[in-house]
Amino acid sequence: MRWATRAGVHIDRAACAWLLRRFIDPEASFVFVDDPAEVPAEATAFDMRGVELGHHGGDCSFETILGRYQLDDPVLWKLAELVHEADLDDERFDAPEARGLDVVLRGLSMTLDDQQVLEVSGPLFDGLYEYFRRGLLLGREPA
Amino acid sequence: MTGPAVLPAGSARSGSLGRWVLLAYRLPREPSNPRVGVWRKLERLGVARLGDGLVALPADARTREQLDWLAEEIAEAGGVATVWLATPGSAAQERAIAEAMRAARAAEYRAVIEQARVAASGGAAEQTRAARRLRDELRRIARRDFFPPAEREAARAAVDALDADTAAAATPAVVEAGP
Repeated sequence: MRWATRAGVHIDRAACAWLLRRFIDPEASFVFVDDPAEVPAEATAFDMRGVELGHHGGDCSFETILGRYQLDDPVLWKLAELVHEADLDDERFDAPEARGLDVVLRGLSMTLDDQQVLEVSGPLFDGLYEYFRRGLLLGREPA
Repeated sequence: MTGPAVLPAGSARSGSLGRWVLLAYRLPREPSNPRVGVWRKLERLGVARLGDGLVALPADARTREQLDWLAEEIAEAGGVATVWLATPGSAAQERAIAEAMRAARAAEYRAVIEQARVAASGGAAEQTRAARRLRDELRRIARRDFFPPAEREAARAAVDALDADTAAAATPAVVEAGP
């Protein structure tokens, strides 16, 4: 399936792309557009104004996608808190790692193009997922 | 976090005009919750208020996105919102807006300096707590500080001094605890 989002990928879009490919559509391919009107007809848009898979009710797009696809994996919802704070920084959740993650993605977006940001950030989110998974199993910070 | 400031702040100084992102919006008077929510978010973003239902921020990818999502939220709350990219009609106009934004941040930094001053007379534990809290506050202010005033450095120094005092006070205690 094809998915479309705004060019200039940052934390929420990078995390959404990882989520889509890893949990919803292993064959996902991504196209980046500057204007909502450029979204190809067959593509599903996310993290853009006026689409279902965007920000709604104070949620970031990552949270919206989790809800929409009924992904109730607690590890993903834990990761969603981090993505939410890195993206919106509204202090809804206590996620002190968010600031660092925000800076990392911001830096990547300066040196890489959008497709490359997804390639590089994918393993990063894999690692974060594993970290939070072990943390939830142990009930404390994993070593 | 001060990155977005570079372009418009520099251009305001040199006289060439910066790019701004504008949000024009209208929300129903009732219910008042969405109105208050939007108002709070605009305060948090540190927007320049250009008129009734018209706000502006120096344009960059982040501010553009912030106002885009806010426009979306306003539409979902039954309001009307449009986002515009604009250049001011004159350098003087831009300077006046930048100055007003700078003054608003300066007042926030002064409040931090005052709180640091009050905390400095407290015990070591209180100072450490205050330093942590005020650093969070400085971070929040810095995010909406597009035209940094001189008070920024003074506020940082005032908060750093709280930690320095605590560290100095803690050192003899460590020595005493030794054999």
